Amino acid sequence: MSPEPTSLLQGTLDLLILKSLIAGEMHGLGVSRRIQQITGGTFVVKPGSLFPALHRMEEEGWISSFWGDSENNRRAKYYRLCKAGLKQLEVETKRWSRITGAIAQVLEAS
Amino acid sequence: MPLLVKVRSLLRNLFLSRRVDADLDREVHAHLEMLIAENIRAGMPPQEAQRAARIELGGVEQVKEQVRDSRTGAFLDSLLQDFRFALRQLRRSPGFALTAVLILALGIAANVIVFGVLQALVLRSLDVPHADRVMTLQPKDGGPFVSNPEMRDVRDSNTVFSAVADYEFQDFGLEANGVTRPVWGAEVSGQYFEVVGIKPFLGRLLRRDDDDHPGASEVAVISWSAWQSDFGADANIVGTTVRIDKHPYTIVGVTPEGFHGTEKIAQLDIFVPTSNEASLDGFNWLESRSYRNLFSVVRLKDGVTATQVQAELNTIAARLARQYPKDEEGLALKLARPGMIGDFMGGPVRGFLAGVMGLAGIVLLAACANLGSLFAARTADRAKEIAIRMALGSSRWRILRQLLVESFVISILGGAWACGLAWMALTGLASWHPPTRYPMKFFVLPQPSLILMAFLISVAAGVVFGVMPLRQIFKTDPNETIKSGIQSVAGRRWALRDVLLAAQIALCCVTVTAAFVSLRGLGKAMTMDLGFNPKNALLTQFDLSQAAYTGDAADHFQRQLLERVSQIPGVDAVGYANTTPLSGDTLVSAVFSQQSADFRPSNSAFYGYNFDISPGYLTAAGTPLRAGRDVSFTDTAKTPPVAIVNQEFARRLFHTDQAVGRYFKNRDGVSIQIVGIVPDGKYFILSEDPEAAAFFPISQKVSTSTALVVRTQRDTADMVAAIRGVVLELDRAVPIRDLGPWNTQLALSFFPIQVATVALGLFGAFGLLLSIAGTFGLASYTVSKRLRELSIRVALGAQAKQILSAALGRMLILLASGSAVGLLLGVAASRLLSVIVYQASAQDPFVLAAVALTLLLTGSLSVAGPVRRVLHADPATLLREQ
Repeated sequence: MSPEPTSLLQGTLDLLILKSLIAGEMHGLGVSRRIQQITGGTFVVKPGSLFPALHRMEEEGWISSFWGDSENNRRAKYYRLCKAGLKQLEVETKRWSRITGAIAQVLEAS
Repeated sequence: MPLLVKVRSLLRNLFLSRRVDADLDREVHAHLEMLIAENIRAGMPPQEAQRAARIELGGVEQVKEQVRDSRTGAFLDSLLQDFRFALRQLRRSPGFALTAVLILALGIAANVIVFGVLQALVLRSLDVPHADRVMTLQPKDGGPFVSNPEMRDVRDSNTVFSAVADYEFQDFGLEANGVTRPVWGAEVSGQYFEVVGIKPFLGRLLRRDDDDHPGASEVAVISWSAWQSDFGADANIVGTTVRIDKHPYTIVGVTPEGFHGTEKIAQLDIFVPTSNEASLDGFNWLESRSYRNLFSVVRLKDGVTATQVQAELNTIAARLARQYPKDEEGLALKLARPGMIGDFMGGPVRGFLAGVMGLAGIVLLAACANLGSLFAARTADRAKEIAIRMALGSSRWRILRQLLVESFVISILGGAWACGLAWMALTGLASWHPPTRYPMKFFVLPQPSLILMAFLISVAAGVVFGVMPLRQIFKTDPNETIKSGIQSVAGRRWALRDVLLAAQIALCCVTVTAAFVSLRGLGKAMTMDLGFNPKNALLTQFDLSQAAYTGDAADHFQRQLLERVSQIPGVDAVGYANTTPLSGDTLVSAVFSQQSADFRPSNSAFYGYNFDISPGYLTAAGTPLRAGRDVSFTDTAKTPPVAIVNQEFARRLFHTDQAVGRYFKNRDGVSIQIVGIVPDGKYFILSEDPEAAAFFPISQKVSTSTALVVRTQRDTADMVAAIRGVVLELDRAVPIRDLGPWNTQLALSFFPIQVATVALGLFGAFGLLLSIAGTFGLASYTVSKRLRELSIRVALGAQAKQILSAALGRMLILLASGSAVGLLLGVAASRLLSVIVYQASAQDPFVLAAVALTLLLTGSLSVAGPVRRVLHADPATLLREQ
């Protein structure tokens, strides 16, 4: 029973991508599968959202890219986390803990 | 650091866009390959694997487009792309592009030029420090003029002005380097330059002590431009002595560049104190309360409000009226904006310019409507292209933006052209001297702010006609459009472009009506009875006081001149006067009935124009004597005063034309006998109502101001030379300020109406051009869209009449309704015109018929081409082709 993929909340995508890249350098499909895996299939990132996000984050200087060989010897574009990206991950994580904390309080209160 | 990364990305995206794009393409394709490989590993057959992968990816091009949109500078990049595409589109249809740019250029130029003039004459204040504190004082009703004692009283008893001055225009005979030439300047009272508040360029300006008693000083200040042109920019000019009207004056200073007096449309070159008035003018107005021929300028103290000023002016005026009932009865002063001959021309000029600005706006709107409908038609043609672009992942906003960029490119190009046109027109206007002896000059040199204005208008115009196809784009359904091709136009609903065409025709109709009304007015004015006949007459004007003549010497000179000129062969009649009608410096005085004993202004019967004339003047001027006799040299200061009056004068005083032998009194209580009657004429401006006028024998009251009228059939150039020869033979020092055909010198009177006619005529022609272009464009578009359908109808046996009504019936309805609305609007707007254009009436059946005929003609002309095309279409060929 695989749960219905949930649409991504605003601002979550950056966090998810940064978090997946903690594990090491990865190509687009890798990032996508990793997110699917760590969220237990809750989030499925379509290429139409994934690539714009990757390129935007690269332009922000959070991640960098290079061409490398994939597991079955195909050329693929890989992304890796930069220092600025690590910092950004911290910021995003804090923000999210604050939000989830707040939401949890709301839920407990009722 | 992140900023640096961003800038680097921006630069890379903009300048290495091809490499970035290729990289993206490889990345997305690699992604697709990996998805397929993944699916195959999961056990799918290859074809199924590919399909599933493609579905998951969601379209290579769409993904790429989404990435491009999220890039830094994506907006700029795609804007550049739109821009390049727009240029390509325009190059592909140069006819359309050129027409559109030209139409817009004319429309925008009209607005920029009118705005430039408006800015120079109305919006911009005088070019002096703190110009907002400088105002003029003028009587509450009537002209802009005040008298010297009045201004002196205001100056000495107010608490609201920091300086008060009056001045009179004068044309001086300036003698420098042995040549005497007439130069325009002003006699200014002592505080004039305190009001103006400028710093001298050289030396000093005039001070209070130059003017504190008659004959206080003989000093003059010259303008920067006179210093440049007449004195060769001599650095040692200060202290030089020149002769003005034969009197030695010392030049003490030069005004800064750009200062040309306190009138916006006059260039004054020399300033002298009023203290020498007696020696300059031949008579003295310094102490005369009734000689109201001066302009005033005042500078308000800081913090003083208009209400305070008005209260104080009321107090002063009331006191003067009590103190000097004979001259100042009913005196009321008000503050007014300075610069337009006081504020005399302010109202009409503001009204006229506002009207013309309105017309210019209408023309621009019509041009936008025109381009809008062209654009809408083009967009309809491009429906398929637009649908394909949407199918390929383009958003509607992106397509709209591309169309907007296209309209902006056109409007900016148009605006640039317009700037050039406006620049040329305004420079021409600024260097143009109107046909007058007055020092009129339009200081309308183009300002950089006009570029901004042109840009703003262009952008506004671009938006206005660019968004017209908006609805078309948003209702485009790519699926349907691609499937069905371009929709058949038959039986289409009323589209925006139809409304636009009707609106445009209505707007153009307004400008055409205005043009015809003013043309008609001009025609009437040109053939109007002036009360004299300027044809075949030469007018010579000079002022003997500039050659130091007074009283009997002047009289003697004039009589000698009369005799010598009458001996020139070919002279039919000759006479002289102190001034001529419509010359601009006609005087008015109060007329009292013979029974009057009270000579306060309020007790006068009416005011009439005064002329002092020599025997023979009336004949030379072509003014017929209706009854009585001409003046004669036997009418002298020692014989009883007499006058010739016009019919209006006689009618107002006696309610009959039979006035010869009867009497009236002047403001000094002197009885004057009427010895002759002449028909009515025009004396001050062409548009005046019939006015009373009286002609006195110049031998009873000598004037140094001389206007010699010579009637002749001979060649003008010969005669001009002969007359000049006679004048100079009598005295070389007499500076002739005007010598030429009377018609030419009257030009100033016809000037406003000519300007109005030219301006409105241009707008009318432009409006007509626009309506032809619009009608023709839409008619041929409609016909070309429906040619196939129409030829089927022809093949099925439809008659020419049916075909025409099917093809162009709607056009005709549009034309007719647009014209009708426009004609009504035009008639309504033309009422405003009659203020400027004499005898202009929109109710004139001639005008209405002319407008209707013009519209009918242009309408049929512009649909004639398309109609021919429909009627001559060969169904067989057409149907085979498509």
